[in-house]
Amino acid sequence: MEQFFQQLTNGLAVGSIYALIALGYTMVYGVLKLINFAHSDLFTIGAYLGLTLLTSLSLTDRLGPLWGVILLAAMVMGFVALAGALLDRVAYRPLRESPRLSAVVSALGASIFLQNTVMLIYGARFQVYPTDILPKTVLHLFGLDVPLVRILVLFVSLVMMFGLYFFIQKTRIGTAIRAAAIDQGAARLMGIDVNRVILLVFMLGPALGGAAGLMVGLYYGQINFTMGWGYGLKAFTAAILGGIGNIPGAMLGGVLLGVIEAMGAAYLSFAWKDAIAFLVLILILIVRPTGLLGERVAEKV
Amino acid sequence: MKKLLYFALALSLMLGTAHTAQSAKIGLMGPMTGSWASEGAEMKQVVDLLAEELNAKGGVLGAKIEVVSEDDGGDPRTAALAAQRLATQGITAVIGTYGSAVTEATQNIYNEAKIIQIANGSTAIRLSEKGLKYFFRTCPRDDEQAKVAAKTIEKLGVKKLAILHDNSTYAKGLADETKTLLEGNKDLQIVFFDALTPKEQDYTAILTKLKETKPDLVFFTGYYGEAGLLLKQKKEMNWAVPFMGGDATNNPDLVKIAGSDAAAGFYFVSAPLPKDLPTEEAKAFLAAFNKKYGHPPNSIYPVLAGDGFRVVTYAMEQTKSTDPDKIAAYLHNELKDFPGLTGKISFNDKGDRVGEVYRVYKVNTEGQFILEP
Repeated sequence: MEQFFQQLTNGLAVGSIYALIALGYTMVYGVLKLINFAHSDLFTIGAYLGLTLLTSLSLTDRLGPLWGVILLAAMVMGFVALAGALLDRVAYRPLRESPRLSAVVSALGASIFLQNTVMLIYGARFQVYPTDILPKTVLHLFGLDVPLVRILVLFVSLVMMFGLYFFIQKTRIGTAIRAAAIDQGAARLMGIDVNRVILLVFMLGPALGGAAGLMVGLYYGQINFTMGWGYGLKAFTAAILGGIGNIPGAMLGGVLLGVIEAMGAAYLSFAWKDAIAFLVLILILIVRPTGLLGERVAEKV
Repeated sequence: MKKLLYFALALSLMLGTAHTAQSAKIGLMGPMTGSWASEGAEMKQVVDLLAEELNAKGGVLGAKIEVVSEDDGGDPRTAALAAQRLATQGITAVIGTYGSAVTEATQNIYNEAKIIQIANGSTAIRLSEKGLKYFFRTCPRDDEQAKVAAKTIEKLGVKKLAILHDNSTYAKGLADETKTLLEGNKDLQIVFFDALTPKEQDYTAILTKLKETKPDLVFFTGYYGEAGLLLKQKKEMNWAVPFMGGDATNNPDLVKIAGSDAAAGFYFVSAPLPKDLPTEEAKAFLAAFNKKYGHPPNSIYPVLAGDGFRVVTYAMEQTKSTDPDKIAAYLHNELKDFPGLTGKISFNDKGDRVGEVYRVYKVNTEGQFILEP
């Protein structure tokens, strides 16, 4: 039983990171019906940018760990949001009127380009975050060893996710995003600047992805230029699992995927962890093709 | 004007071919991109440096050595294409590559093209059991390593052993060999044998599972990136079990990833580090490498690639030929105790390096790799 709860906490921590990245996939898909394959590389850029800013500005020495990390997060999110906007402008916007396949190919190309750019700038070697920034306290709760940082990761992820959810649901701009997701043409007729909405979507998603990259860097300490691939695939799976295009679905899918993986690793073989995660995805798609929280949307004829 | 241009072009082409005819070509195939790109980049640094030194001394057989490098991406499919490209470029021998599965994809291509191949980081047993005439390697085989690993595990008095690999050809081979060797030991019980997925960052799930089996020692046969994370996350779990690794964990980045407090006490089996070799060759090489690149080599495998380069150029010099049959025969039969950068080098008739190369290292509290007596 102790192992069960320990694995649950393991799964929740990983799952919350999947969920943060999944939000970027799901938002872009919701509005553009496009899988932004380069999203996972924006996540990688977040991790590398975080390391560069952290070491070159020595923020934590000047401001102390807490404010240093908060400022760092704000800077990383800002820069990655700009990178996302740039990506949209260069790789997707020129193809807005083209068949969807062109945009998908462009997304794959952008992904390969970004990954190799990171490798050429930073080198192929692992990069390592300083180990002394986050507290190393390990809490002993109900017979479980839970590092404090892990609770922080979970907490920060949840705050960001719910922040996004309320932004989308309660604000005027959020309403515009939702409107553009339903029907771009109609939204345009209602006076919504759809291109600006899309630009915003391409900033919000990457900002969260960049934050996830920074968290992974700070928490795990080791980053490499291919890290986006694994996380991206899992986050993409999480988005589909929860119902792609649906924001609470992405959160649920991410957390669920993390927990399923941890449980699969614990009670079946660890080597089969990924296979189990994808098997669950396939089963859900068979039973419920729209994903867990996805709604059946009537196709325009 | 145009005529002049054509003339100049033709002239430069003639000069170009005349130049290449005078130089001997050595191929270098390594993972310049992909997950092992750091190893590949350093392989190129090492071989370039040695070629430069050799050329400064007049080259081989009165000709300059030209190193033609190809990227295998650490991936078997890319490697097969890289091998085909190299095979058409008139090279005598190829150095590389890192990774057993990657090497395996290229072996037959070189063998058919009659090109000597000297692998530097491909330790899987079956590579040399195929009876390929032109295949050699400067790194020892997994069964050699497993012998040293098993001996060390027994010496440490382990009663309950957990073995963890990453399903790569190399790591699984080493894990299987060690398991087979230790199964005869009645005092020792293997309580865990499974694989993790490389390139992930969170290994707490498998560590939690491992901890349940209460082993005395965990033998992880995978690579340093994962090993560093395992050590770090193990410490975060307040779990004090000692870890041991194979030679793929021999990389200073292991300590950087884990942090020196978490890495302290980690054992690993490896070919010796250049710094632990008292030979003149190793010292001179280290000094030259330091001077050119500003730091010592990070990993032993690029140094083993350097040994491959030195051995093959030496054989060309000795046989006074670039004929692959003569060089292969020389390396198999006549080369004895060649003073390599990583120790004495001789090959057996399978092309494997002879002699015990592996040592046991332990990481001290400052994160340095200390050779165990």
